[in-house]
Amino acid sequence: MSFEQIIVSGNAEQLEESELSLLETLDHVLNRGLVIAGEITISVADIDLVFVGLNVLLSSVETANEVLQRRKDTDVSA
Amino acid sequence: MKLYAYCLTEGIDSLPDSLHGIAGATVSLIKVEGFSLLVSDFAADAVPVNRDNALAHAAVVRSVLDQTTPLPFRFGTLVTPPQLQGYVTARRDALQTKLELVRGCVEMSVKIIWDPKGSEEQPSHDAEMKPGTAFLAEKRRQILGSEASGAEAKRIAGWLEEQLADTVRETRINTNTTDKLLLTAAHLVERGSVERYRIAVKNATLVRPELHFLASGPWPLYSFANIDLEFKTLFGVS
Repeated sequence: MSFEQIIVSGNAEQLEESELSLLETLDHVLNRGLVIAGEITISVADIDLVFVGLNVLLSSVETANEVLQRRKDTDVSA
Repeated sequence: MKLYAYCLTEGIDSLPDSLHGIAGATVSLIKVEGFSLLVSDFAADAVPVNRDNALAHAAVVRSVLDQTTPLPFRFGTLVTPPQLQGYVTARRDALQTKLELVRGCVEMSVKIIWDPKGSEEQPSHDAEMKPGTAFLAEKRRQILGSEASGAEAKRIAGWLEEQLADTVRETRINTNTTDKLLLTAAHLVERGSVERYRIAVKNATLVRPELHFLASGPWPLYSFANIDLEFKTLFGVS
């Protein structure tokens, strides 16, 4: 059983939780939100936002896996 | 000079002087059709997608989350003042309806990660497949997942919805999985129900020990901000 809960309060104590919090923030901010249709107003320099969002999502999954594995290894060795 | 738009909300009449956003610009509050919009000046034609700008956008939207229920604009939204006025005026009723629907709520998120090695479906190894083709096929499977994981994702999605039904007002679930990510879920939760939601998620993990849950929140309503008319117009989805 594994459960990681990030309470986004800006008070993360551990480096890996800060990293996960950052990735979760990026995952939420990019590619979501109120869209003003009609005149295109989303102006993002050079980078396909969907591509960036997908990479952020994949990174957050990988980081979460790493954090969970480190904690599992710590629990086993304790 | 254009405006960078962060969010639209209600019930806000002032901001802290020290609130800064994209490119360090001072965030200001403007009133349009009775709504409150957080904006800042932006001189260039495009917004660089980088960590600092994304976090600045998030921080500005979050700065009013304790006082109200903001509808975040999509990252990178640049408008002229007349465009912003025109948009809000044209969609005033839809925006008001949306705000009434989500008032007092926050977004909570769950990602469910699994180990696909335990799944029954194994990657195919066609003996006649050339190495390059086999490599690409395996990469595709890793990125897009397999049919088995897709079916499992849908089952888990239904199960998760049952577990959280009493604490969630609305759900957005994506089961277009990758190799390891089974599903991502955004939940619209009343502020007073956030703790019951967290307990419900924690209890759900006890039922499915083979899955990894990554829960986060509360967030502003990134996944629930779009008004239906815009979503249908933009994506042709009914």
